[in-house]
Amino acid sequence: MPIFHAPLHEIDAKETKRYAGLASAKHFDEGIVRAACEDALLLAKPQGIWQLYDYDCQTHVVQSDPPFPLEGEKIAKHLAHCEKVIVLSATVGDAIEQEATKRFDEGHYAEGVLLDTAASAAVEQVADGMENYLRPKAAAKGYAMRWRFSPGYGDWPLTAQPELVRIIDAAKIGVTLSSSLMLMPRKSITAIIGLYPAEENGAADRAHAHMPSGCAACPKTDCPSRKV
Amino acid sequence: MIHIFDGAMGTMLQAGGLKPGACPELMNIEHPDVVKSIHKAYVEAGATIVETNTFGASRLKLDHYGLADRTRELNTAAVKLAKEAVLDRAKVAGSMGPTGRFIEPLGDLDFETAYATFREQAEALAEGGADYLIIETCIDIQEMRAALLAAKDATDLPVICQLSYSEDGRTVTGTDPQSAAVTLDAMGADIIGVNCSLGPEQLVPIVQKLHDSCTKPISVQPNAGMPILENGTTVFPMHPDDFGYWAPKLVEAGASYIGGCCGTTPAHIRAMAEAVRGMDEPAPNDGPRMLALTSRSRTVCIDKSLPTRLIGERINPTGRKKLAAEIKSGSLLSVKKEAVNQVKAGANLLDVNMGVGGIDQTAAMKQAVTEIAQLTDAPLVIDTGDAASLEAGLRAYPGRALINSVTAEDYRIETYLPLAKKYGAAILCLPITEDGVPKTAEARLRAVRTIIEKAKEQGLRDGDFLLDALVMTVSADVNACNEVLKTLQGYRREFGYPATMGLSNISFGLPARPLINSTFFAMCLAAGLDAPIMNPYDEAMQNALAASSALLGKDPNGLAFSRHDWSGYGTHNGAVTKTVKKNDASAPQDTLGRIKQAVIEGEKDVVAELVDQAIQEKHEPNEITEKALTAAMTDIGEDFGAGRMFLPQVLLSAETMRTAFDRLKERFPAAAGPSKGTVVIATVKGDVHDLGKNITGALLANSGYQLVDLGKDVDADTIVRTAIEKQADIVGLCALMTTTMTQIDTVIAKLHEAGSHAKVIVGGAALTQEYADEAGADAYAPDGVKAVKLADALTGHAC
Repeated sequence: MPIFHAPLHEIDAKETKRYAGLASAKHFDEGIVRAACEDALLLAKPQGIWQLYDYDCQTHVVQSDPPFPLEGEKIAKHLAHCEKVIVLSATVGDAIEQEATKRFDEGHYAEGVLLDTAASAAVEQVADGMENYLRPKAAAKGYAMRWRFSPGYGDWPLTAQPELVRIIDAAKIGVTLSSSLMLMPRKSITAIIGLYPAEENGAADRAHAHMPSGCAACPKTDCPSRKV
Repeated sequence: MIHIFDGAMGTMLQAGGLKPGACPELMNIEHPDVVKSIHKAYVEAGATIVETNTFGASRLKLDHYGLADRTRELNTAAVKLAKEAVLDRAKVAGSMGPTGRFIEPLGDLDFETAYATFREQAEALAEGGADYLIIETCIDIQEMRAALLAAKDATDLPVICQLSYSEDGRTVTGTDPQSAAVTLDAMGADIIGVNCSLGPEQLVPIVQKLHDSCTKPISVQPNAGMPILENGTTVFPMHPDDFGYWAPKLVEAGASYIGGCCGTTPAHIRAMAEAVRGMDEPAPNDGPRMLALTSRSRTVCIDKSLPTRLIGERINPTGRKKLAAEIKSGSLLSVKKEAVNQVKAGANLLDVNMGVGGIDQTAAMKQAVTEIAQLTDAPLVIDTGDAASLEAGLRAYPGRALINSVTAEDYRIETYLPLAKKYGAAILCLPITEDGVPKTAEARLRAVRTIIEKAKEQGLRDGDFLLDALVMTVSADVNACNEVLKTLQGYRREFGYPATMGLSNISFGLPARPLINSTFFAMCLAAGLDAPIMNPYDEAMQNALAASSALLGKDPNGLAFSRHDWSGYGTHNGAVTKTVKKNDASAPQDTLGRIKQAVIEGEKDVVAELVDQAIQEKHEPNEITEKALTAAMTDIGEDFGAGRMFLPQVLLSAETMRTAFDRLKERFPAAAGPSKGTVVIATVKGDVHDLGKNITGALLANSGYQLVDLGKDVDADTIVRTAIEKQADIVGLCALMTTTMTQIDTVIAKLHEAGSHAKVIVGGAALTQEYADEAGADAYAPDGVKAVKLADALTGHAC
């Protein structure tokens, strides 16, 4: 049950702006963004948990108990050549979203939105912090890491969430699912990271080369937060 | 003579038959001869200290193998067999490795559980007859603190503390060698060092830093170089000869104890021992010990030779009713805000006082210290009059704190000094005796002398003291200032320790307090004040500090002073009052045009004033609404659609609209025009995302619609019932996810069944025009701005 609550020292204002669809806005009061990041930092309760499992990349099955077969072509390709997977969950708790709703109710709409997007930036940072912690550990065992893949990406269905949440043991950090498969608190992440032998870097990377990553992998091309 | 540790144990055990996945420590019972032969091989190679095979023999680790109940047995057996193996040719160090879990708040392991685990192991190793305890390979200073406290409480053995540092020179959890050395030295570690993670070359600068930062001997056990991968397994490539080459360099950098970690063998240790044969132990760092305080990731030194350090005083509920009430309610939001903001304003240390009546102060102090330590790297000052709260704060703090304060009163001397010693804290010495506050400088020096003597009897040393000059009110005692100045001079002359004090008392009861305070501050800085306790937001004080630092040579060539932005200096408090944006040539000059502009720019602060002006100029309310406000919204809609304006900007405009509408309603309560229609809006059942719905609702409400917001996770029947009851013109439905959007079909079907005539607009991340069409919606809105346009079109208000 490895738990690491990678601490946050600052919330990325640039990412906060991007999530708010402000990436290319020229004249926006930076002070409001900064204030939202600062408030979100104080309200955030960053927590993270992960588990390591063997993975059979021929049958696309995570060797948990009971085993967890992965549905979808994209995830299968994404985890090609991987021998192990890290499944992880990160959250910043629900205090920020409560505050965002409160601000909205008080008529401070922009603050409400920016608090919400600051929370999105924050939870990604918590997951990044865990990855940064895990990468050298994986490297010491001879593995390199693929980028985080979450249910809802590509054709990996959201219906994978219950199994994923179970094998992560995300409840340990208070992350659960609603009946409609939403993560609660809302500003939470679940994801899978493939570990492939670093030595086979060449073959694995070639196999992976055609796979777009991050925003480029997402079909929602009109997303205001899309990285250009 | 340089002390030589042994090398790796794990790989040798594998060579000796340890199966993958088996418990290495069980070999102490099942194959003692294998373990003994490893110890012997290292002693024959030149090791003068061998480490027991107990790295993972803590209860928490052994539990993985179902061996938790054999903790004591495995540890004592390990020491005994090591002693039998080495006889009197070498010393035996009982090895204690990390638990593999992070202590709260970084992880879920309770500090006391970690402490108990290490204590049990330390006792067993001592019982077996170990000569040293070695706590090694820790990456979290808090885990090291738990282990060191446990080792010191359980035994009198010398304790070696070795952290592991990454290539960036910090532990994984952010601790640098200086902060580690200062913290562990003060807590009573006997030898301080580093092992694992890196090769000898990379550890030379870390050894140097450790040596320069504390008074204890330094130990180092590098890996055999940086790991590389061969056939899928990690190997450490450094040849014994190369390993030996670096050994004298480690000694020159300050190490008295050297050995090997991962990948090292008896051949490496032999090369190392031969390379340093005849070398003398490096001289300990015996320069004057400066007052140094640490957080998890930073060291702050206070000394007359250094720039003035600010101690932020704002985390203190005394006399601050709102803060006190908030703390009492269990919220630390303002406390945390004060922590971050004071550091931004220039505070180098933060005073933490949780003195609120009617709460569990011990728990409050522990929580505040824990949470502030996660937010800032400024070392903390634990400010309390209660020994239990003090201990809770010191125990929870992953660094070296300052205690505020120790007086010459018996209670403080008897209870606070042992805590300072145990937790390695420095003390703020406050010259108060059982008889009260001494008035003269002489008497204050006498009181502080008593505190220092008592503290030294307890084992505190130079570098553990910060002396408070104690400021009284000048309006009550005409000599108050003079005595403080004399006290400061006396402290520096007699003790040479740095000085502190709270300042603002001096001006109590006088007019123009800021002037008195800043003048007094400048005088004290000249007399020897090194670390004022003050409000870092106070600009007059900050200015006095900047000027004094330049004048007293603490800001060489006045560089920082020159670079400071003095542009606002001399104007009233430097404050800039917000005015209507200066109009450039293209900006509208008429009032309605300026209102429209203000709405587009989201200038909430000025719009109400402009509305008043328009009313004064006899514009009719609906003229203001149509020509200024609605017109603005039309432009905003176009700009948004064209990607010239972005959502948060639209929202600021909506807020500005609202302010303008509110002012109009205030001035003409009867003139509120007819509403464009009623909109019932909701996020559907099962869906808890309401941001998009809130945005859309805000835009509709500020575009003339009566809004009924049912919130999130709303079932179909509630939506339908409300739509009928309120005679809704529009029903807005939001669903974010593929798992919840089918609810939209349900709601629309039920609306039709119930005979509602409302038009349905749907939106949300997962929805598309196609889906909306299939579900029978009247419109699909990809965003809130579009939703307003669609509502206008559907209700016949489109312009």
